Amino acid sequence: MAQRVQDKKPKRNKAARAWLEENIAEQKKRYQAIVDEQEALWPKRRKWYREFLKIIQTRGFNVDGDLLRKIPKAELPKEPKRKHRVVW
Amino acid sequence: MARPHIEPYVELDAPYKKFDIAGFKGSHYKVLSLDVDSGACTLKVRFDGGYKRKPGLSYSDMEIFVLNGIIKVGKETWREGHYAFIPAGMHIGAISVGRGAEALVMFNDSEPSYYESDRNHQLALTDAFKSFNSYVDAPWGPGNLVSPSVATGVGIKVLHYDVLTQAITFLYYMSPEFMQNNISYHDCAEESYHIWGTSWMMQFGDLPTGGYFWRPPYIDHGAFRSKLGCIAFGRTDSKLHNYFHFNPWSTPDENKLRAAAHLYRQRPQLYDWVASEGHNHPHGPPDHEHPHYHDDAQVRHLHGRAPAAERHQAPPRKRKRRR
Repeated sequence: MAQRVQDKKPKRNKAARAWLEENIAEQKKRYQAIVDEQEALWPKRRKWYREFLKIIQTRGFNVDGDLLRKIPKAELPKEPKRKHRVVW
Repeated sequence: MARPHIEPYVELDAPYKKFDIAGFKGSHYKVLSLDVDSGACTLKVRFDGGYKRKPGLSYSDMEIFVLNGIIKVGKETWREGHYAFIPAGMHIGAISVGRGAEALVMFNDSEPSYYESDRNHQLALTDAFKSFNSYVDAPWGPGNLVSPSVATGVGIKVLHYDVLTQAITFLYYMSPEFMQNNISYHDCAEESYHIWGTSWMMQFGDLPTGGYFWRPPYIDHGAFRSKLGCIAFGRTDSKLHNYFHFNPWSTPDENKLRAAAHLYRQRPQLYDWVASEGHNHPHGPPDHEHPHYHDDAQVRHLHGRAPAAERHQAPPRKRKRRR
């Protein structure tokens, strides 16, 4: 197996470990703030989804590039009962 | 767990932090995303006026995109729009910044590292080095780099392409009044930083100037709009394939199964060998967009199953285990 420079990296020193720990903790907070912000967007998003499902029936759904297909009502997906997420 | 899903994150209001790691002192940074295991990260870095560093190397592949200002690197002068891919172990010349500059700095394999050196590591794959001004020295191409493709109104400049993983780094724009009415997801992680302008996605709302995302694979995004247009820096970590659909409530797990269903239909031998082996979804995984695709004649043909009419007469063929 070919050797890579990355495999020769010296062990993380104390400063690098501290840098990582600090920034991982901050990223966790940032992630949670994003989740909260996106949860709060739900009423608008519900409206956007309704508009989208309407547009793909009238103007069309972009199948590939500018190729459009009008989606019959019978093919539209139904909102499931489970909790909806956009951030994973 | 690699990098979490960071979307959307608008960094402009977040303060810079002092960069206190060797080789970066005299600069400030913001983390845009960070791999919690490897330390690989995307940073926005502000090099203060007077920043200097001796020649050196990193043990990680690095990518740099200059957002503004002038950075002298060895004999080169990097200005707004400059892009560089620096393979792990390749040394770059002394850096100096006269009046300050901002750049996106990406470490692809591990946390930021710098070791003073005026020569390359013996294992450095220096052929992969790239350094050019992406605004001036790279042409815009149409957005249909892959198929199925985005709608007209997207342009792309490929800055870096990894031949093994097909990961790409690129600039893209959306023209004013851009519109694409579908939902997309990919097998790859996708990253973007809005250099200027605002785009909109149906799940996340507006992504303005300074807006960023790191999106792991199989997560829905789109429909897409841009009222006034935008220009952005983007990356993927492997091959980009656009899976388009119109179910706003699909989950990453369902999307992943649908992607596997594509593989089952389009690369049947590979699917059989990698995934199936006669026990794992022998008739193909579920596809929430085409729930009955298993009965499609071509799909059945590809997988050596009899047409529907014959199926009722002949006993099912036993699948031989391949070794």
